Amino acid sequence: MDSMSTSSTSDLSRRKRKKKSPPSPPPSLQKWRSEKQQQIYSTKLVNALRELRITQPSPNPRNGRAVREVADRALAVAARGKTLWSRAILSKAVKLKFRKHKRQRITNPALTSTVTATGSIRSKNKRGAATVMRIKAKGLPAVQRKVKVLSRLVPGCRKQTLPVVLEETTDYIAAMEMQIRAMTALLSAVTSPTEHEEGQTHVLGVW
Amino acid sequence: MSGRRSRSRQSSGTSRISEEQINDLIIKLQQLLPELRDNRRSDKVSAARVLQETCNYIRNLHREVDDLSERLSELLANTDTAQAALIRSLLTQ
Repeated sequence: MDSMSTSSTSDLSRRKRKKKSPPSPPPSLQKWRSEKQQQIYSTKLVNALRELRITQPSPNPRNGRAVREVADRALAVAARGKTLWSRAILSKAVKLKFRKHKRQRITNPALTSTVTATGSIRSKNKRGAATVMRIKAKGLPAVQRKVKVLSRLVPGCRKQTLPVVLEETTDYIAAMEMQIRAMTALLSAVTSPTEHEEGQTHVLGVW
Repeated sequence: MSGRRSRSRQSSGTSRISEEQINDLIIKLQQLLPELRDNRRSDKVSAARVLQETCNYIRNLHREVDDLSERLSELLANTDTAQAALIRSLLTQ
């Protein structure tokens, strides 16, 4: 963890001096792939699931969705509020009225952390206009269409500019991959002991 | 490097994002996709293809999470075993 933070600080200072963007995999992806992060998430997930009340009778489609929401919310918390998608998930959950206020306030830090050398992206943080259209280089309608679709898939990115959507997507994908790993591990941890128990209760005739 | 370029050769009109930066982002994205990252061919994969694969991949991930959620919810339906199992999984992990 220390080495990660030092490298990112030295990256920043390098950026300020030489105006170069680091070629190594972004620290956000490294974070989602670490064992530690998965541990943290798994713990959050298990704790949240314990508080969930599953409505009978099962199988009930609402239960699956409830678990999904719990998992997503835990994932968003694990992101520590640094990305748009995580904040979108959390604000959806809480349904705050001043959600818009939050989004306007926070988009700057999000862009500063992801922006590379130029700094010109900061001024580009004007929401409202579908700035995705204005990128001359990628003016191909095919690309535009796909970025639009993509922006709808990633939470909180519907009205974002092209680079923001791409940036959010990379983080979102890495996070979801970790979520799947954690849930799969949880499932196998919960499944095998359960079978043991079921066997025993059958034998004892308690059930 | 990309910073220097976009400073000296400011992209026209209203957009100040250089194509270089967008390309970098798309390449970064390509590295994440299991479909495309192993294709080490000399020709670049088109941006549209990367985006298409990204959409498909995200949909797949969503579906997997939904499926896992379903299975977890079915297990959790039985509260006695569920509580014990969850607590146990916390300890083993």
